[in-house]
Amino acid sequence: MKTTMWVLVLAALAMWSAPAWAGGASEAAGSEPLPVGAAFPDVSLGMDLSPEHRTYLGIAKKDGPVRLADMTAPVVILEVFSMYCPHCQREAPAVNNLYALLASGGHADTVKMLGIGAGNSAMEVELFRAKFDIRFPLVADQNFAVHDACGKVGTPYFYVLAKKPGETAYTVVLSRLGRMDSPESFAADVLAAAP
Amino acid sequence: MTHLASRRRGPLCRILLTALPLLVVIGFSTAVRAEEAPGFTDSLFQSAKASKAVDSVLAVKVGDPMPDFDLPTIDGGRVRLSDYKGGKKLVLSFIPAAWTPVCSGQWPGYNIARELFNAANAELVGISVDNTPSQHAWVTQMGGLWFPVASDFWPHGGLSGRLGILRPEGVAERALFIVDEKGVIRYIDVHDINTRPDLGELITALRAIKD
Repeated sequence: MKTTMWVLVLAALAMWSAPAWAGGASEAAGSEPLPVGAAFPDVSLGMDLSPEHRTYLGIAKKDGPVRLADMTAPVVILEVFSMYCPHCQREAPAVNNLYALLASGGHADTVKMLGIGAGNSAMEVELFRAKFDIRFPLVADQNFAVHDACGKVGTPYFYVLAKKPGETAYTVVLSRLGRMDSPESFAADVLAAAP
Repeated sequence: MTHLASRRRGPLCRILLTALPLLVVIGFSTAVRAEEAPGFTDSLFQSAKASKAVDSVLAVKVGDPMPDFDLPTIDGGRVRLSDYKGGKKLVLSFIPAAWTPVCSGQWPGYNIARELFNAANAELVGISVDNTPSQHAWVTQMGGLWFPVASDFWPHGGLSGRLGILRPEGVAERALFIVDEKGVIRYIDVHDINTRPDLGELITALRAIKD
């Protein structure tokens, strides 16, 4: 009887957790995400970053075009999103929570967040930013240049990148398609994966 | 199990035993529901090859009056040109087909831009040649839209044909029209069917239209 009871408990738990937790995403045909351990390409972040966002990214003194390698933060959470992706729209409050969590946890200086609007024009990215009051920098990638360089991934896609002092290129330490389970669990994963 | 043993069961054990059938039922129903509802992306039809960018000849031009129309919408109503004339600008967004990737990415973007259309004193209407029930299922699975979605299904492609944006395979082009308060066409973008037009350009065009 005891055995039966435990089998039933386990069966119920297994079925409860099974469907969960594949996060929503708009998948992309021909996607080849960069794996953990891969060097992340030194992509262009354009020239439209505001002074506040340049300060946040630690590149306040840099004018004009910015590249990822200009950043010196040890960890970067790079979200590939699209204004047109309903999953990204639904995820927007959660990424804002993630940003707030990192700040309140004392990680604002070491873990930076950055959004890449795959196929989005500057105006489309601005619409997304204003609609959801996104606090961290969002960069337009209208011709899909960054999107192509980082594996034509579906959206939202989360790359967590890390580099040690003196290194130029970032290395992928987490590579994940779809919405986060929760900002709390994702923040914990990021901090655990960062060297 | 003996009678004695069952008497010895603690309160926790009894609660667990009572709750178990319920847990199993809930567990099963969640699993089944998840299987029955494939993701929106999984439901989309993936075409093997890209289509010819544009495959029709426009029958109207900027400055022409918009032909009158009266089409059924997925909420059970109708949209008519006369509903907007004299009051608001009208943006018509034609898409080729429900349940296809580019189209399924276009309107969810417009769905977060309602304030921009409102600020320009404009209403948006989405149109395809799909039948109303198909459009309804597609838009519902998309999560719903704030603007009306109208069907140009019967007579097939009636409005699309009069505008000159009906392709030989029977679908509309991916096209945008802005009609001003007087019913005059002020902007036309017959877009490459394989790519999504920049919403920024449409909003800029909308803002540039003054009386």
